[in-house]
Amino acid sequence: MNPPEPLTLFRPPFRNYQFDAAYDEMFSAPGTPRAHYQALFQNLLELPPEELRKSQQAADLSFLHQGITFTVYGNDEGTERVFPNDLLPRIIPHQEWRKIENGLTQRIAALNLFLEDIYHHGRILADGIVPRELVYSCRHFRREMRGLTVPRGIYVSICGTDLVRLPDGSFAVLEDNLRVPSGVSYMLANRKVLKKVFPTLFRDYGVSPVDHYAQALLATLRALAPASSSARHEPKVVLLTPGVFNSAYFEHTFLAQQMGIELVEGRDLLVHDNVVYMRTTAGLRRVDVIYRRVDDDFLDPLCFRQDSSLGVPGLFNAYRAGNVVLANAIGTGVADDKALYAYVPAIIRYYLDEDPILANVQTYLLTDRSQRSYVLEHLDELVVKAVGESGGYGMLIGPHSTEVEREEFRRRIEAEPRNYIAQPTLSLSRAPCFLDGEVQARHVDLRPYILYGENVTLVPGGLTRVALRRGSLVVNSSQGGGSKDTWVLRA
Amino acid sequence: MIYSVRHTTTFRYEPAVRESLMEVRLQPRSDGDQRCLSFTLDVDPAANIMQYRDFTGNTVHHFDIAGTHKLVKVTARSSVEVQFVSAPRAADSGDWADLDALVAGNDYWEMLLPSHFAQFNPPLQQLARELGCERRGNPLGLLMEVNEAIYKLFAYVPNSTKVDSPIEDALRSRQGVCQDFAHIMIALVRGLQIPCRYVSGYMFHREKIEGGEIENDRSLEGASHAWVEALVPRLGWVAFDPTNNLVGGDRHIRVAIGRDYADVPPTRGVYKGEAQSELSVAVTVSPADSVAPEPVMPSFVVRSRPVLVRTVVRSDQEQQQQQ
Amino acid sequence: MLSRVADSLYWMSRYLERAEHTARLIDVDLQLRLDQSLEAGAGRWLRLLQASQVPPPEDGKIDAESLTNVLTLDRTNPSSILSCVAAARENLRQVREQCSTEMWEQLNRLYLQVNSTTASEAWLLHTHVFFRAVQEGAHLFQGVTDSTMSHGEGWQYIQLGRFVERTDELARLIGTHFGRLPHPLDQAVESEEYLEWVGLLKSCAAFEAYCKTYTAEIRPMRVAEFLLLNPEFPHSVRFSVDRVQAALVAIGELTERKAEQPVRLAGRLCATLSFSQIEEIMASGANGYVDSVRWQCAQAHTAIQQVYFDYSVESALVS
Repeated sequence: MNPPEPLTLFRPPFRNYQFDAAYDEMFSAPGTPRAHYQALFQNLLELPPEELRKSQQAADLSFLHQGITFTVYGNDEGTERVFPNDLLPRIIPHQEWRKIENGLTQRIAALNLFLEDIYHHGRILADGIVPRELVYSCRHFRREMRGLTVPRGIYVSICGTDLVRLPDGSFAVLEDNLRVPSGVSYMLANRKVLKKVFPTLFRDYGVSPVDHYAQALLATLRALAPASSSARHEPKVVLLTPGVFNSAYFEHTFLAQQMGIELVEGRDLLVHDNVVYMRTTAGLRRVDVIYRRVDDDFLDPLCFRQDSSLGVPGLFNAYRAGNVVLANAIGTGVADDKALYAYVPAIIRYYLDEDPILANVQTYLLTDRSQRSYVLEHLDELVVKAVGESGGYGMLIGPHSTEVEREEFRRRIEAEPRNYIAQPTLSLSRAPCFLDGEVQARHVDLRPYILYGENVTLVPGGLTRVALRRGSLVVNSSQGGGSKDTWVLRA
Repeated sequence: MIYSVRHTTTFRYEPAVRESLMEVRLQPRSDGDQRCLSFTLDVDPAANIMQYRDFTGNTVHHFDIAGTHKLVKVTARSSVEVQFVSAPRAADSGDWADLDALVAGNDYWEMLLPSHFAQFNPPLQQLARELGCERRGNPLGLLMEVNEAIYKLFAYVPNSTKVDSPIEDALRSRQGVCQDFAHIMIALVRGLQIPCRYVSGYMFHREKIEGGEIENDRSLEGASHAWVEALVPRLGWVAFDPTNNLVGGDRHIRVAIGRDYADVPPTRGVYKGEAQSELSVAVTVSPADSVAPEPVMPSFVVRSRPVLVRTVVRSDQEQQQQQ
Repeated sequence: MLSRVADSLYWMSRYLERAEHTARLIDVDLQLRLDQSLEAGAGRWLRLLQASQVPPPEDGKIDAESLTNVLTLDRTNPSSILSCVAAARENLRQVREQCSTEMWEQLNRLYLQVNSTTASEAWLLHTHVFFRAVQEGAHLFQGVTDSTMSHGEGWQYIQLGRFVERTDELARLIGTHFGRLPHPLDQAVESEEYLEWVGLLKSCAAFEAYCKTYTAEIRPMRVAEFLLLNPEFPHSVRFSVDRVQAALVAIGELTERKAEQPVRLAGRLCATLSFSQIEEIMASGANGYVDSVRWQCAQAHTAIQQVYFDYSVESALVS
């Protein structure tokens, strides 16, 4: 096939498509689409923009009607917003996906071994690979988990890892989300909509399916069921939600519905003689596995925060006694601490004796005197993150910051260096998005979802998050981000 | 020396509550110079009692009462043998270099880092300066100095602080109870990079000898007690009781150790219902060969205003981080 | 089914029924007012407040405009239409995954419609438009519920809530009308009385159905018989109680709690109604009779709460 005329670059809907130093997902050079984007490119050239606009409207409406919303904190009424969806799929060739899959499988295996180790013998600490102080000073380190055995030794069974594509085209891990990763419902909803919008294109591309995620999640949860339950009945699995006011409540109801399991709140459960029951109209029913979307701190007012109104008193004792399983396990947050993140490559080498398949992003530890002084001198170039936060909160993006903000972070870092890390400002790759009636490039990341039960399962794809504001690098939904469907090609 | 201990904790609720769950740390430890020879725990109303060991090896008993009740009474009886050890001598202990080597080669971080009640905050730093609390001489000598300094500087005033009071309260008013003194000492000692831990337990109070030896015992008889253990090179964990200016000895019965009080409250519980609650505690410690004394009047009573327990709070739901 | 979910569905349904009932009462009242003098209307206002369980104003002055507001858009009045629709929506929102999308959308639409009506659009309150919209919104919700939700346990709680509420409202309304005993009971009423009795029938959406059964001649005794004992008319006490019983029997079977207290109580109430004769009821006082129905209904409600929603853990562990 002849390369398209450079003129096409200026043809609608690409008239305002811009390039910068970032890797462009669609074009290898201005006007030259990558092989796996060729068909979509042609399609966009041929499709009247009016058609696309109509499709976008239909898609938006479909999201609204399905109630695919998230909650924005702070305002009172009308707190639900539709999570913006972009119509154009992000396409990942088969080979690239294979590498991602292998890299993430390796990573979740190593992180689970790490968690088991620090909650038992602490070999990696004794061997000086990871500093003890870093682990013990982590807010998410749970002493209560010491010596406690979890089913199959799996601590993290549901994981959503944030990947970014660097200017050289390689993927790197930005964050491991090992506590209560969210967003998978958007992945499924995006797919449903795109199949309606681009049926032919979808079929011709040979896209790997993701629709079996809920089933895979259920199988994962069942694989963790306590041995005691199989003797009695099929394990009873429930999803524990904080309630309707939680930002991800839609996702909780969606997943419960898809899996066909009960969606419970803390007040639906109770513990008697170390056994967890749920209150039903037919009486108390025993619960075996809890997919919990409630933070550790709030899970059990007897064991953790006493002021928690969401938890189940005595849950941790039932868990310790092996009468109920929690997924993810308690205390996994120590392994996605942003300072510990810097040690993950070493952790992979230590437990698996392999080199990491996916690279880390360079990270400065602010507890280290020389790294700290470097960071404080270069605040205007770096990104500073609070170690315990997520969702794009508590972050300083140096190049986009004001003097006042930098001073504020300087003060905070000096007061509590353990609470912050710094990373270079990354130029996330850019992908085509349909905005204001034309195709424009926006920064994206990728969050694949990894399940770990009997074995490791990745549904091919994930949530591609988009920074919809021009020039923005922040993809979080709370900060003006949206998402798009991710097509992993079968071959 | 063998002691008999009886520890009774009574919770009264008005109006009645339901679905109470409670965890208690009441069984004396069997380690170091002490053996727990027997232990029984009774709960009224009757409940199934389960147990586990927490991360510092304390035995925790727990139970739940599903039905409505106005009272929970927990009675722990134990007999404990405590070996007499002579007061530690500086000559037997190591120096600072030995201490640093010990810390570097082992895992003492838990007892070195700040913890919930033992924060090295500005008021405490101020106290450290005031006491000239910095490394000098040998570790044991300095620890004894700090122990005595706290004893002298702070007045023992029962009920002057609450169980959840931060040490700032005691630091400001220069008065407090054993728990405050223990927390202050822990924070000071950890500030010196010496591992230090909290001990909750009981103390046997000798009868006062008229005109005889000077009696240091200030802590309240009939209550549980708290002191600290610091790591001394070559000697291991050595007990310091800043409330009574004691070091080591055989009058302390250790029940639980932790980073601070937050790790080892004797009782901890939640219930459903909107009730006014009242907690009373009575402890007797007596030599095993003497006749066990009659139960004494409660040593202290704590009344709490009604709290609405377990109503779902919207802000809690919002606070749940979804990554 | 989770107790919390059942509880929410039940209350959602009760609140919506209450909103619909209030809307109909006011709607009917507005129509009658056109044919009546001011003085004649005042008495009915008091009855309306009584039927809606809102205390009458302290100064005894009845100001139609402000009262309409209290009963419709006043958020501080828990029985106002707005409060009831909002409470219904909030209950459904808590268990949104248990209902169909269509149900949620319909109730949400109704809420948004009521909530966006402002006092400045007070004219709406003096026409049928607003009250018709509420009634139609509620009817539509019921239709959507019946045709898009599985008629399983959850649906039964919705039925239960609706008819427990309806029984109580009907009984209360009938009680207020027979409070001032008309004479004679078994004769056609005079013209000034006529409108009041038609008002009662219309408040129960029963005028047309009554005429089909008894012709347009209005006799208090017949009105009472129709509203209390007719087994076929959906806004009669008898019909409502039958539905309550049917729902409880179904729930009893689904939860394997057939012999529990709520089922027994509803069965007894049903039996009372099916064997009652209107002459006996009137002879011993209609007021006493409806009070007894309301009391039994309240007992059934309490039993439902205790058996299905908020039972003690202790009792559940024993069984």
